[in-house]
Amino acid sequence: MKTSRSERTMNYFVLTLFAAAVVFPIGWTVLAALSPDRSGSPDVGSLQWSNFADAWRQGDLGHAMLASTVITVCAVIIQALVAILSGYALGVLGVPGSKVIFPVILLGLMISTEVIVIPLYYQFRDLGLTNSWLGLIAIHVGMGVPFGAFWLRATFRAMPRSLVEAAEIDGAGSWRRLWQVLVPIARPAILTLTLLNFMWTWNDYFLSLIFISSEKLQPVTLALGNFQGRYSTEFNLLAAAALIICVPVVLLYAFFQRQFISGVMSGALKE
Amino acid sequence: MASAQLAVAVPGRERTSAAPAGSRKGRRRRRWIGLVYLAPGLALYTWIVLVPLGQSFVYSLYQWDGVSAPVPVGVDNYTAFFSDPELVAALRHVVVLVFFFALLPIALGLTSAAILSRRRLRGQSAYRWVLFLPQVITSVVIAVVWKRILAPAGPLNEALRAVGLDSMAKSWLGDTAWALPSLGLIGAWVTFGFCMVLFIAGAQSIPTELYEAARVDGAGPAREFFSIMLPALRPQLAVALTLTVTAALRTFDLVWLTTQGGPGSSTLTPAVLLYRRAFQNPDVGAAAAIGVVMAVFCLVVAVLIQRISERGETP
Repeated sequence: MKTSRSERTMNYFVLTLFAAAVVFPIGWTVLAALSPDRSGSPDVGSLQWSNFADAWRQGDLGHAMLASTVITVCAVIIQALVAILSGYALGVLGVPGSKVIFPVILLGLMISTEVIVIPLYYQFRDLGLTNSWLGLIAIHVGMGVPFGAFWLRATFRAMPRSLVEAAEIDGAGSWRRLWQVLVPIARPAILTLTLLNFMWTWNDYFLSLIFISSEKLQPVTLALGNFQGRYSTEFNLLAAAALIICVPVVLLYAFFQRQFISGVMSGALKE
Repeated sequence: MASAQLAVAVPGRERTSAAPAGSRKGRRRRRWIGLVYLAPGLALYTWIVLVPLGQSFVYSLYQWDGVSAPVPVGVDNYTAFFSDPELVAALRHVVVLVFFFALLPIALGLTSAAILSRRRLRGQSAYRWVLFLPQVITSVVIAVVWKRILAPAGPLNEALRAVGLDSMAKSWLGDTAWALPSLGLIGAWVTFGFCMVLFIAGAQSIPTELYEAARVDGAGPAREFFSIMLPALRPQLAVALTLTVTAALRTFDLVWLTTQGGPGSSTLTPAVLLYRRAFQNPDVGAAAAIGVVMAVFCLVVAVLIQRISERGETP
């Protein structure tokens, strides 16, 4: 289709302006993280790569990365398992009372974290689950049920019924039908779910702030918050620390752009 | 692929499969098996979400410092929304934030989507990748970066001084008048790529012949946007509005990590007040009431926007 030259120029101009607005703060942070100057003023002449090592050491990021990794990996795996089972139950097997149960589960998509977090805190305090990775994992998993169930129910329902029936006639039990027939075909949907949950769990700040108070147990988001308080005069190190904690999610985003974008859009209800 | 696996399947694992797949008895049995599969998810969800949800309503009717015995106060915690100056301020700020978190990113998202979706453009996917990037960056990092950019000696002020606008330079987040709009702009920066991607997805269902026909009829880009694209994007607009408006109400991380609600009370949001009252100077009942009101508000917004967007639809 023909577009006038001026219109095309205009389009590029607007898009580049928008992209610059996004890239400038990020690019500037990258340069600040490499700056030998404590205020982080960019100095392309002498890039100080050791800032990353210093930030890692001084911010005690090793501990925090371990915490985030344990919390995120456990939560994501359990979330996927629970989602697969729930989606299978709701979408393929059927559940007695599903006309009530399913809307109640969907309600969870619209409930904001804020309304449940206070009773949850006092309940977990009594159970000794505050200040523990296990407690945080349980919360992430529980809050992930609505989206996971909704997501995989839709996926499983979209699959041809004849597949499941053929397997049933072949004598495959419900367990085997799920894992050997449905799950392999649903792999792209499960991947998307896993990526989203990874991002949401890794990036979480609010829940960690409430439930983790010990510095030894804190995930990267909290660690960076504390680092910010203590090292506000050394912005080059702070910027380096900030970039380090972004790496896992940004790498995943770079590899799985499509899954992220489509998933965030269809699953946007959660946030 | 699936059929290959079927062939490997060992028959006769489940004794109950005697009933044919479609029979009534078989279906009923299958549903009870379904309940077993659903049980872990349902139990976790009930424990983590449903029970606390109910408890929040109960808490909100008490005055409680988290330690001593709770005192029932009826709906006092709710009437505070009209009299407590901090709460009133927080609600007023939400209105401002709705502009920055919802209207501004939607307008920018529509603009960029209009450009990116009508026709092939070189570098299309690169632009999309970049503009969506802020969505995947954690809020702590966004706060660190922007706090520095908006700081008194930060790059923004340096740039202003460099072009001779010294009088404009200020501590953006430390200024009572400017802190809230500054936060709002950070929010817009984060959200607009999401809106754009949502609108691009919606616009993909518009047949290109429509644009071509419009061009033949002599429509310019603006006309094309208002008479073809905007009406077609109604469902996506509803989703974007719902999400961004509720996000404006729920803003916590950004505020907490940059201004903590200050200076004074100029950037307080309901979520910040909720956190303070629940965990800093515990007034748990009041905090729970804030949570309940936020939840109700989010639900009402979602239902309302859904209703409006459906009413306008041609059957």
